[in-house]
Amino acid sequence: MPDEEVLEEGVLNPVKPEIQDPLLRALLADEPAATAPVAADTPQEKPQAIAPEADAVDCVVIGLGAGGAPLLARLAMAGLKVVALEAGPWHNPEKDFATDEKAQDFLFWNDERLAAGHDPLAMGKNNSGTGVGGSTLHYTAYTPRPLPDDLHLQRDFGKGEDWPLSYEELEPYYEEIEQFLGISGPTPYPWGPARRKGYPLAPLPLNSAAQLMVRGAEKLGIRTSPAANAALSARYYQEGIGWREACTNRGFCQAGCSNGAKASMDVTFIPLAVKHGADIRPNSFVTEIERDARGHITGVVYTQNGERKRQRCRHLFLCGGSVETPRLLLLNELALTSGQVGRNLMAHPGLQVWGTFADEVRPNKGIPGGLISQDTHRPQDADFAGGYLLQSIGVMPVTFAGQVARGRKLWGQPLRDYMRQYNHIAGINILGDCLPHADNFMELAEEKDARGLPKPRLHFTAQENEQRMNAHAEKIMRGIWEAAGATDIWAFQRYAHVIGTARMGRSGDDAVVDAKGRAFDVPNLYISDNSTFPSALSVNPALTIMALSLRTADKFLEQQQRRDA
Amino acid sequence: MPVPEYPSGTVRALLNTAHVSEATRAALQARLDAPATYAPQLLAPETYALLEAVAARLFPQPDRADEPIPLAPAVDQRLAEGRADGWRYDALPPDREAYRLGLGGIQEIAQAMFQADFIGLKAVQQDAVLRTLADGHPPGATWATLDAGRFFEELLAELTETYYAHPLAQEEIGYVGMADLPAWTKIGLNEKEDREVAMGE
Repeated sequence: MPDEEVLEEGVLNPVKPEIQDPLLRALLADEPAATAPVAADTPQEKPQAIAPEADAVDCVVIGLGAGGAPLLARLAMAGLKVVALEAGPWHNPEKDFATDEKAQDFLFWNDERLAAGHDPLAMGKNNSGTGVGGSTLHYTAYTPRPLPDDLHLQRDFGKGEDWPLSYEELEPYYEEIEQFLGISGPTPYPWGPARRKGYPLAPLPLNSAAQLMVRGAEKLGIRTSPAANAALSARYYQEGIGWREACTNRGFCQAGCSNGAKASMDVTFIPLAVKHGADIRPNSFVTEIERDARGHITGVVYTQNGERKRQRCRHLFLCGGSVETPRLLLLNELALTSGQVGRNLMAHPGLQVWGTFADEVRPNKGIPGGLISQDTHRPQDADFAGGYLLQSIGVMPVTFAGQVARGRKLWGQPLRDYMRQYNHIAGINILGDCLPHADNFMELAEEKDARGLPKPRLHFTAQENEQRMNAHAEKIMRGIWEAAGATDIWAFQRYAHVIGTARMGRSGDDAVVDAKGRAFDVPNLYISDNSTFPSALSVNPALTIMALSLRTADKFLEQQQRRDA
Repeated sequence: MPVPEYPSGTVRALLNTAHVSEATRAALQARLDAPATYAPQLLAPETYALLEAVAARLFPQPDRADEPIPLAPAVDQRLAEGRADGWRYDALPPDREAYRLGLGGIQEIAQAMFQADFIGLKAVQQDAVLRTLADGHPPGATWATLDAGRFFEELLAELTETYYAHPLAQEEIGYVGMADLPAWTKIGLNEKEDREVAMGE
């Protein structure tokens, strides 16, 4: 970004929340829309014959992570009466969040899920959050955009699925979110198409692992760049929210940010939603989704602090993530005609390579994912479909120790000796695409949880494509670490985000929702989270979840506008 | 590279400074202040004693012979409260059952290998039992139905995470990340703040 925009005291962000959709913009400005089409094309959305009950709200949103919070803000800003039900509590990070991994366990979705298949997926702190802000409370804030061909694996490789929408349709939303969240990143960005706007803030400083990866990659001719991270490299002002402070390099993103520098939903879209009248109800666990005789949703039943409650609504937005969203659909026998709910479960290959350096690393400091390379997005010598990104990684001690125990199977004195090298350890990992496969799915188990509900069981087995990608990536990462001077190099097999259990598509024959996020089976049900991804993408999902969330809100509001016209 | 040695007392000295937040201090101090004796709430006394003996070999602490970092209480407490960490290998039964079965299975291995209880074995024999378990195909009826490799992995991971959450274990590895106020400014290679501990001689 141009230097003159960086002020001594921080950055005053002049960008207003940009509304991409002209109809919504008109709505917000309270002006008549220029081109409101007639309602004829949307017969399901005709005004309901029965007057809604007095306590019905326009929209209920279930889940306040990256899928629920952006659309909640958008709907509230459009003047709709919205209620958000979040299973977890509403925290005060500044006061409550400790710089201690164990003490922060409350951030994770700790209800037990059963991990089956040849490559059982670690859940909990690996990928699942709870609380107002959802998994963004513990995401690493790594926010690269997908590259346009990520959405066209089928077209380019004859494998996987194409998205029913293009990168160009998502691009304005990526730009809006990057500006709104205050993403720190390189301008220009070295990979992908030219961008209309650069990142609003300069990249965060490179920590030791990032510097080591630069050293190794340079020797191998692999291009690297400071990564895009949704954490502030300078103070940042956002209309409707106020000032957020710069990142203090705590390196504890995955255990919760205590100063609001990381753009989790609780310090960005949620305060914006609250300012515009959204009603946030924490500790509210939804169990039932009620319908009328036509199959339209009329409300939800939830438990809040031990009390069973009902909230009627005209529209429901289900944003519970790739496990709880299909679980709610299966429990309620809702939107199941495509047969795809729970199917197409994907998980990002997240292979890590660790090494010991003579230099002092102190891997707990700095933004964990400081560096990126997307040179491996479509490797020339690939024997697999899709590709992956490379990322330097910092790590907190307890997380690292647990991985050493599981991955290296060290115990006794050798484990204690190896862990004494903690301050000299650095890692790299990949984030790779994953193809859907019939063997990989989520189902309801017989075994019940503390609430008396069936536990989810996730079947995952890495198939040939993922195995080949991992082998390719391990060779490259070992090469980078050797070139950087590492000794005692070892690889840890890991799979990250769970994706794709209620996929979007062009037809209700093989997809649960359409490109707007609207369920084919139920006209007043929308799904907004990573369960709708038709393919996994070769980048971290949070930015795209948020982009789809805003797009779903805009498409929904457009439809409402048409109906009212 | 040689195993680094860090001076002890470093984390404890930092805990009462303004570099550590209230919430962080509370979490770490509670672990330091945990009573030395613990009465098991869920596991039967003999099962708990066995767990302690196993933990003492997975994390031998000859340097803290009088006051080892306690590991078994965290397991018993968690099982008693029914807490989970969000997932479980489908191959394993629920955690309480897995621990009871698995610890019984360790006795079976000890009997098969040395015709004696695990607790009565010498350290080197106990290690041999645990190595047989870790290798995934131990003797004993328990292991016909309980996945030995997965059980050992889960047991080791839980004890490991308990150990390295303790301030004394964090001192041992030269970690002072808890002292993060007001900020880390020296985050590159071979850079450290004054409050970060240098390796001892």
